[in-house]
Amino acid sequence: MATDSPLLVMEGIGKSFGSAQVLRDVDLRLRAGEVLALLGANGAGKSTLVKILCGVYRRDAGTVRLDGEQVHLTRPEEAIAHGVRFLPQEVSVLPDLSVAENILIADLPLKRTWRGREVDRSALRDRAVTLLDRLGSDIDPEQVVHRLSSPQKRLVEIARALAGQARIIVMDEPTAALTEHEAHALFAVVERLKGQQIGIIYISHYLDEVFAISDRIAVLRDGFNAGEFATVSASRREVLDSMLGTSVDELYPPRGKPTDEIALEVENLSFPAALNQVSFAVHRGEILGVFGLLGSGIDQVGRAVYGALGPMPGAIIALGGRSYAPADPRRGRDVGIGFVAAERQREGIVPDLGVAANLTLPFIDRFTRFAAVSRPRELDYAQSWVDRLGIRSAHLRQELRLLSGGNQQKVCLARWLVEGLEVLILEEPTRGVDLGARQELYLALRQWTAKGLAVLLVSSDAEEVAGVCDRAIVLDRGRVSGRFAGGASPADLLHVSTVKDHS
Amino acid sequence: MSIATLLNRPGAGVALLLVFYLVVAVLFSALSPWFLSFDNMMSIGANMAFIGLMCALQTPLIIAGGLDLSVAAVAGLSGVVVALLHASGVGIVAACLIALALGAAIGSLNGLLAVRLGLNPLIATMGTMSVIGGLALVLTGGLTKPLMEPGFNWLGGGQLLGLPVPLVLMLLVYIALGWLLARTRFGRFVYAAGSNPEASRLVGVPVARTLMILYTLSGLSGAASGLVLAAMLYAAAPDAAGQHLLTVIAAVVLGGTSLFGGRGTIWGTLLAVLLLGTLNNGLTLMDVSSFWQDVTRGTVLLLAVGLDQVRTRAAGG
Repeated sequence: MATDSPLLVMEGIGKSFGSAQVLRDVDLRLRAGEVLALLGANGAGKSTLVKILCGVYRRDAGTVRLDGEQVHLTRPEEAIAHGVRFLPQEVSVLPDLSVAENILIADLPLKRTWRGREVDRSALRDRAVTLLDRLGSDIDPEQVVHRLSSPQKRLVEIARALAGQARIIVMDEPTAALTEHEAHALFAVVERLKGQQIGIIYISHYLDEVFAISDRIAVLRDGFNAGEFATVSASRREVLDSMLGTSVDELYPPRGKPTDEIALEVENLSFPAALNQVSFAVHRGEILGVFGLLGSGIDQVGRAVYGALGPMPGAIIALGGRSYAPADPRRGRDVGIGFVAAERQREGIVPDLGVAANLTLPFIDRFTRFAAVSRPRELDYAQSWVDRLGIRSAHLRQELRLLSGGNQQKVCLARWLVEGLEVLILEEPTRGVDLGARQELYLALRQWTAKGLAVLLVSSDAEEVAGVCDRAIVLDRGRVSGRFAGGASPADLLHVSTVKDHS
Repeated sequence: MSIATLLNRPGAGVALLLVFYLVVAVLFSALSPWFLSFDNMMSIGANMAFIGLMCALQTPLIIAGGLDLSVAAVAGLSGVVVALLHASGVGIVAACLIALALGAAIGSLNGLLAVRLGLNPLIATMGTMSVIGGLALVLTGGLTKPLMEPGFNWLGGGQLLGLPVPLVLMLLVYIALGWLLARTRFGRFVYAAGSNPEASRLVGVPVARTLMILYTLSGLSGAASGLVLAAMLYAAAPDAAGQHLLTVIAAVVLGGTSLFGGRGTIWGTLLAVLLLGTLNNGLTLMDVSSFWQDVTRGTVLLLAVGLDQVRTRAAGG
């Protein structure tokens, strides 16, 4: 299907922000009708490269050619005019307009009537139907968009790109908010786009997806081209190794030696529409994985125990042998439970506080005397964590919003690693975190479990749960659907978690 | 280094304000020999003190993600309450304490509405503003009530260590708040709550309690401000302070506090209060009509907010 003539050639692209060189001499080629997966750790330069293509950033060096002709895309509007479309991770639609209006918003068909120029409703409908047909979709074009499911909204976005004569579509983590079934529907759409000679740059963290859908894989690392593979002949291992720069075996630290002592025991934990009589126990020194797909209850289980969802009537929870009733986050913290939430931007970081102030926030009392915070002690403490976890920041008072995702996550984790913490609950601890930082996070966790900390690691990443955890449980529609005592493979986990009646 | 990155360095906003302040001061002193005299400087400080008091607590409240539009109305009511109580024979100290307690109570009510009931603070405090302003008019029949009591009037016109009492009072409040915000655990909670309330709550920061305290203190500051104003004017007018609400918000914003919470300093606010006072004073000395003074104040505010946008964009890119 892919033709030989290159649709897009980016050569020798360089870009720096201030003193930080983000891209050096990067090349990228895309043919019409081809899906090119763009892989790389966070901070590898993927998004910068794509933003240069889409006219958001200006390149410092290099050339961009479309159909052999050199172009200067300095504004997003120019990129769109050249047929380059970017679909961000978060679907961006106009929720109160109809499907057809959303698709053709940039070029609404008009007609003359005695009242003046008006939107031509029937032409609008017809053109929307034609475009939706190209994607194999039968969404009603009159439907208001906020009523649609997320994959349907995604389709509307793609149809809008087609309406603008898109030749290159850049998709950034398009399946991040989709279930597996919905993702497959999206793949079918991508196949159709290929058939219509559209070039697709597909950014994703999920290797499974990349291997299922792409023709070629380009890997960036630290702003360089780190490897290029034809998907049919590539192995997952060599792709991972080129992303990581080292061997993937080093990503997960050796397992620990859990004790027999139970740190946290949960029985009959229920929460409306999410959890149904969930029971499990975590031992001291152990990392217990909780795996599940979206909507399985993994979004609630950790925070319910911590107290972020309020009291849990009916649940019997024991912490270190003593009865504990979740009430609110402060209660959880005070009895020795730590909690790192999944949504780092919304629920994790305090963006305007500095690195040091973020690190000491939960246990600021330990740095306070007569209401005043001892700043020398606070800065010493923060410096020790910055050194231990390799947190990259200009200085200790740098606002946390200015750090990369991986470094922010290190701060969110290190907040809780204090003397006296019994149980640490982590939700999706490495979502959007680059591989180097992941390695450091796992190592830090293992160091603390060696001292007796119990960790509950809630994740929808099967490879992570299989790679890191000592034991794992699997949730499916709010119930525990499987328990694994060590050595579970990602396939084992997925096997008992697949939501079967979802088609 | 581009201007945008320079502007985005910490403290740049306050430094810029200081430069602007100096430029204004030099300009006025060139145009009016009176301007730079000690007495005139002191009178600027004394005249702005009652506004400065309201700004002082509005600043941490806005940093923490709240807003209190009723504060100026509270000032009006508290003056009226003292005047009426005093006229009916209540001792002046008791009358002042009652007025302060009333201000704190109104502040807690605002907190109750905005924090516990989750109403939008803009709407909730606009509601209380209207109720309180109305009550002050009802209580006085719309008339100004005289309030002559030497001890009390000292609060507005007296001297302490050669400085006007209102100015000293205001500076003490700023110094205390400066320490509170920069050095204490409570100050940390204020910034955390405004920067990301949900993340703060999840690590155990008492977000709701922090805001409740700040709303209460804001009400208290309104009442204190009303006392100072009534003491200065030897009278309490129900609508004396209400017209200054916009100046209060303008000073806080001009001082670099983000209306979205999480960022700002008390010193920026103090500088902005003095700048606005100086502008008014200088323009008055130059016989510019007070109508033009509104125009000037608005322009300065727009300039400051525009500059803040530039800084925010530089930070985002």
